[in-house]
Amino acid sequence: MSEVKTETIVTMKDKNLKNVTSTQKVMKIITQVLLYIFLGVMAIIVIFPFYWMIISSLKTVAEYELPIPTLFPKTIVWANYTEAIQAADLYNLFKNTVIVGVVSTLLSLVITVISAFVFARLEFKGRDTLFAILLATMMIPGELFTITNYITVSKWGWVGNELTPLEGYGVLIVPFLVSIFYIYLLKQNFMQIPNELYLAAKIDGTKDLKYLWKVMIPLALPTLISITILKMMGAWNSYVWPRLVTTKEYHLITNGLRTAFQDANTGTANIPQQMAAVTMVSIPLFLVFIFLRKYIMKGVSRSGIKG
Amino acid sequence: MTNQSVAKKKHIWDKVSEKFDIFCRKIKLDKWKAWLYLLPTIVLLAIFTFCPIINTVSMAFTVYWDPEAPVYEYDESGNILTDDETGKKVVLGYGEYKGYNIALDIAGETDFEFGFNNFISVLKYNGFIQIMKNTVILCIMTVPISTLLALLIAVCLNAIKPLRRLLQTIFFMPYVTNSIAIGMVFAAMFNIVGVNEHNLDASRSLGIINSVLGVLGMDPVNWINQGSSYWANIAVMVIYIAWNALPFKILILLGGLQSVNKQYYDAAKIDSTPPWRVFTRITVPLLSPMIAYVVITGFIGGFKEYTSIIGIFGEGMQPPGAGAGTPRLQTMVGYIYDALGTNSQGTASAAAIILFLLIFAVTLINLYVSKKKTHY
Amino acid sequence: MKIVLQNLTKIFPPRDKKRGKETIAVNNFTFTIPDGKLVGLLGPSGCGKSTTLYMISGLQAPSGGKIFFGEDDVTELSPENRGVGLVFQNYALYPHMTVKQNILFPLQNLRGEDRLTKEQMIERAYDAAKLVQIDELMERKPSELSGGQQQRVAIARALVKMPKVLLLDEPLSNLDARLRLQTREEIKRIQKETGITTIFVTHDQEEAMSISDIIVVMKLGVVQQVGAPQDVYDDPINLFVAKFLGTPPINVFKGSVKSGKLVINGAEVMDVPGIDDREVFVGIRPEGFIPAADGSFECNLSNVEVMGRDVSVVSTNEASLNPFVRSIIDADYKIDKSATTIRFALKPHKVFLFDEKTEERIKFEVN
Repeated sequence: MSEVKTETIVTMKDKNLKNVTSTQKVMKIITQVLLYIFLGVMAIIVIFPFYWMIISSLKTVAEYELPIPTLFPKTIVWANYTEAIQAADLYNLFKNTVIVGVVSTLLSLVITVISAFVFARLEFKGRDTLFAILLATMMIPGELFTITNYITVSKWGWVGNELTPLEGYGVLIVPFLVSIFYIYLLKQNFMQIPNELYLAAKIDGTKDLKYLWKVMIPLALPTLISITILKMMGAWNSYVWPRLVTTKEYHLITNGLRTAFQDANTGTANIPQQMAAVTMVSIPLFLVFIFLRKYIMKGVSRSGIKG
Repeated sequence: MTNQSVAKKKHIWDKVSEKFDIFCRKIKLDKWKAWLYLLPTIVLLAIFTFCPIINTVSMAFTVYWDPEAPVYEYDESGNILTDDETGKKVVLGYGEYKGYNIALDIAGETDFEFGFNNFISVLKYNGFIQIMKNTVILCIMTVPISTLLALLIAVCLNAIKPLRRLLQTIFFMPYVTNSIAIGMVFAAMFNIVGVNEHNLDASRSLGIINSVLGVLGMDPVNWINQGSSYWANIAVMVIYIAWNALPFKILILLGGLQSVNKQYYDAAKIDSTPPWRVFTRITVPLLSPMIAYVVITGFIGGFKEYTSIIGIFGEGMQPPGAGAGTPRLQTMVGYIYDALGTNSQGTASAAAIILFLLIFAVTLINLYVSKKKTHY
Repeated sequence: MKIVLQNLTKIFPPRDKKRGKETIAVNNFTFTIPDGKLVGLLGPSGCGKSTTLYMISGLQAPSGGKIFFGEDDVTELSPENRGVGLVFQNYALYPHMTVKQNILFPLQNLRGEDRLTKEQMIERAYDAAKLVQIDELMERKPSELSGGQQQRVAIARALVKMPKVLLLDEPLSNLDARLRLQTREEIKRIQKETGITTIFVTHDQEEAMSISDIIVVMKLGVVQQVGAPQDVYDDPINLFVAKFLGTPPINVFKGSVKSGKLVINGAEVMDVPGIDDREVFVGIRPEGFIPAADGSFECNLSNVEVMGRDVSVVSTNEASLNPFVRSIIDADYKIDKSATTIRFALKPHKVFLFDEKTEERIKFEVN
């Protein structure tokens, strides 16, 4: 039996509890106030660039260049937007981006769904090996593929001037149709659907494709939505590849932005106009974010991949 | 919807499926069905993923002998030595191994051979040290800053109730942006209008950031304009990259915090644990897997930094007038694309492989450290 | 440390603000826990016993009423400042710390004049570990311990700062049957040795009865009865308490009182002096039956289970509210297993009458 010298121990047992209550209340309030101050300051820092973008886009150049900046435009200049559209040929850029975004998302969804289904449900020799190889390639930085892909598409004649729309858009879409990460994501989701459902459907004589369409896709819809949004955002944000392989005719939105407003000789820019263009590029993203926040966050927390 | 249309829909699907199955059976492909489904995926992967890996590796190790290439002499800092009298470059001799080049390959008159010269020329490239310096500085500054801030914000968000969803949404906003577009906004915020090399023109805008600094009683800084210093440029990049990296880190860390069993915090309360100790002794250790994750992804992102620099500095990747040669803020990815642009596929491939190895090594080191630091 | 609960009430707001109803978890609980006693809070799940415990710990704030530790009102005090020890149902040991670090943790939090030197802390940690007999596991991580060992670590961590009161939330529910028996004796021993006022929560009446000095039986947020385990068992205040305590459970019958006699299933079984004629529920403890050929209470015999020292007689009776009537009788009585009926005499002090509507106890004089 162990020994304990309880009588020698003097701490909590004899501590006086009076007078603690009020200080503790004050401390709690102070802590909460400090928390909100910190979060508020950080939130302002985070959101300030967006605010600055929008109000700058509505200022005259003269107002923008005042030594003491105004926090709200004195005169609101909507013309910045129309001028920005012309200066950067935004119509064409928007059109290209939408075409590339929609087509690549649709095709990529079909490929992703079918591949994920095969890996999740069908039994065949070499399935696990193949999937392991696919996963291993995810570690390799994209730049390594770009070098050869550039050579490949050049050989096909998909690079340069005077491309047909099929070639021009094709070169932006085809190399990125298969995303191993999305296949992986969807496969994991499909695996959670009990196999019994599939076997039962088999016994009933249901065909694979019909089962996929009727059972698995509805159940995996949230993941599919996440993938759709991330893929669309990818098209919206892609910069390097289009710059490398296309000329102005097939440039995407980001390519046109950076250079369009810079005066080639002086290097100075019409910043309000530039901000108007940037606002127009950002707003579709914000709209998607506001309405589909849940799916984006879900997709992102599982991926860590931007766009 | 009427029953009829439902029936019709089913009918079409059955038909498609059935036709497909009959087709499969006819050409005896039933047991190859899985491969048939995978055909588009595998073809695309073969062309755009598997071949490039093999091809890139092989290009990286392919060189040719150029008997007419002059061999220059270099000084200690890697610059080509020039003759003091004539001002011409000092030529030691002629003949050198050069890297793979697609144009020569297509022309078909060059004998290519196996060699390490692509790697040697990347490592000997006099801008390589600059690139590594940029990368390391950006990584070791942005990763700790953004991780620490994200951790603090996540813990604070987790400790409040009203306004939490609103704040969470605000903190996630930088994620859904175009890094070039918002880079331009940051550039505008730091930009000084009408700067010249010698002084700042006080009669025009010094940029909103300098105005704020002025309110706080600090001198304006030339951040990104002509004549700005390297460290001012780096400071802007660090701020932008950290700002951009916050949302993802907050999302992961907040998710981690919310999955921590509340009882640990209750137990800490019962044990009269002061808040700071709760943070260091309970929150951080319990979150350590997530922290390791955001640190690793942060380092990987840091090594691949490219578009954010273009967003702020443009395609020159340095402030105007910062000199010819290697751009001041060049990165590994930028170097690869520049090499591609000059048709030096061999060098680009070698650089891409070096980048991969660097990322791989940093990831392994991170994993090793976090294994030692995460206690369970 | 004496603990006083005064009109303690906890109301949880509805989950769905528009439609849901608020839940009264604890309703007007008044009770004084004497210094140095082991008190068991007992009741079925959802009776508010855990909520009461968490209100004493300070982790949950009461909606009404007051809590005193000794003379000090601690109702508003946050858990950090109460100086209680709490053993969680899942133990909540910090998974990244060793056993030693877990036990040291509360001591390292002490500030000001309470602060101990490093040597004192380690000595205290080892004292606590010895008390719960885990001093040989100090360098292990919680994941390397068995359930019972984790439980001891949790107790050591709660005890090491010598709390004013030790609170245990379902301390034995995660242990297997054998460990449970052993550990509950341990808890009793530790409590005796330290003399710390201890409150524990359980839904297992046997556990509560076996080690508590005082048990508090609760139902739907309302305290039913408080007292020494044997007193509550022998003198239940209502049908709920009578049914909740005891294994096998009490047998309940529908019956009536007619001119001083208790009538079950048409037969007069016992004298119940001093009660007016009325319909009643009759509770008879399993040990209240004595087999007797001339017994007044007849049942249809179904089965006889011999358990060594005792015999369990399973029978049926039309007035019984349970499917079977279970009686425990001394193995000395020989029961004819082939008989179809069996007759019992009843021990009057094992028979309780309850009002048919309120289910409150109706007392009668036992001669």
